[in-house]
Amino acid sequence: MKPALILAALLLFAVPAIAHHSFSAEFDINKPVKVTGKLSSMRWSNPHAWIYIDVETDGKVVTWAFETATANALYRRGWRKEDLEPGTVVTAEGWHARNGSPTANTSSITLPDGRRLFAGSAPNEGGAPR
Amino acid sequence: MMTRLFLALLVASMPAIDVAAQAPAAAPAGPVRRLPDGKPDLNGFFQSDHGGANWGLEAHKETFTGGGRGVIIDPPDKKLPYQPWAAAERASRNRPERGYDDPTAHCFVGGVPRSLYVPAPVHIFQTAEAVVFLHERMAWRLVSLSRKEHLPDTLRLWQGDSIGRWEGDTLIVETKNLNGKSWLNEVGDVISHAATVVERFTPVNADRITYQATVTDLNVYTRPWTIEMPLNRQPGEMLEVACLEDNQDLQHLKDVRDEFRRNNSK
Repeated sequence: MKPALILAALLLFAVPAIAHHSFSAEFDINKPVKVTGKLSSMRWSNPHAWIYIDVETDGKVVTWAFETATANALYRRGWRKEDLEPGTVVTAEGWHARNGSPTANTSSITLPDGRRLFAGSAPNEGGAPR
Repeated sequence: MMTRLFLALLVASMPAIDVAAQAPAAAPAGPVRRLPDGKPDLNGFFQSDHGGANWGLEAHKETFTGGGRGVIIDPPDKKLPYQPWAAAERASRNRPERGYDDPTAHCFVGGVPRSLYVPAPVHIFQTAEAVVFLHERMAWRLVSLSRKEHLPDTLRLWQGDSIGRWEGDTLIVETKNLNGKSWLNEVGDVISHAATVVERFTPVNADRITYQATVTDLNVYTRPWTIEMPLNRQPGEMLEVACLEDNQDLQHLKDVRDEFRRNNSK
C-alpha cells in the first residue's frame, strides 16, 4: 500500500483522546477543527497531556489547547519530548469544545514533514503484543 | 528515530475501530506459567482487550469514542437485563450534563469490574496468601486467598472486598461490600451497593488470561449477567497516572452541567 493510501486509511481510524471522562459532554463530534500554528508548549501531564498551539488569524494570535491521551499512552506509542520542540509548525486536528473556547480533543498532529502523530486512544490497546 | 516513531504510531493507530468491533483472535493453546507449588502464575503486566467496554458493555457502533464489540456472553441476547428504572437512569447518565457525575472523571477508582477494562494496564502480583491488582491509575485491589468471610456489611468500599480461591487453574474472586457509587463505564451502566461480582481468571497460555465477571445485582437487573474479555501480557512496565495532577476536564464537565442547570431552572 502506498504511503498516501495508508495515511488516508488512518484518517478513517482517528478517534478522540479517550480516557477517563465523557467526551461527548465536553466536545462536539459535529464540530471538527483543524488549525495550523506554532507549537508553543506541551504539557506532559496526567490524566491527559496538552499541546498548546499559537494560531495566527488576521494578525491576532490565539492559543489553542489540544487535549490528548494520558502522557503514558503517548510515551508507549513512541512520543518523546524532543519530537515536539516549541516553535515547530504543526497542524492539529480534533473536535472543538462545546463551550466554544479554543480547546479541542485531538485526533492527530501533523509535523512539517507530513508525518502524523496520533494522539487519541487506540481501542486495540490491550491487544496481544505484536 | 523518527522512522521508528512513525512506524510505532502507525501500528498503534491502524487497527483502531475495526479491531474494537471484532472479537479477539482465539488464544493459541499453550502451556501456562506455573509457580513451584503448581498453581498458575498470574504475575505480570497485563491489559485487557476491552473492546470498547469502557464506552458500552453491549455492542455499539462508533460514536465519539470508537465502536465496541460487546463483551456480554450471558444473557444470550448480549443485552444488559435492566429493570426499567435502571434503564432510565442509564439513559440519563449518558446525557452530556451527567458527564460530571462519572466518579472516574473526579479521579476516583473505577470499581469492580470496571478497573479491569478501563483503557489502562494492570500489574498482577500473586503470592500464596493474596493476589494484588495494581492499576496504573494509581489504585489497587487486594484479593485475600486465606480469608473466608467478607468484611462487615456496614463497611463499603470503592473496590469492595474481594476473597479469592483456586478452582483447578481458575482463580475465582468474589467481591461484595461495594459502595454503589461506581459507574460501570462512561455511558453510565449501573451497578449498586447490593452487587456481588464473581470474577474468573483462567490462564489459557503463557501470555493470556481469560477474564470473566458475573454481576448479580437484583436492585438493578432482572437476572445475573456475565462479561468476558482477554487480559494480554504487555511489554514494558507500570508507570504512573497521577490523575489529580492536571484534571482540567473536570471544570469543563462542571461547566456543561451548570449551564444545563441554569437553562432548565426557570
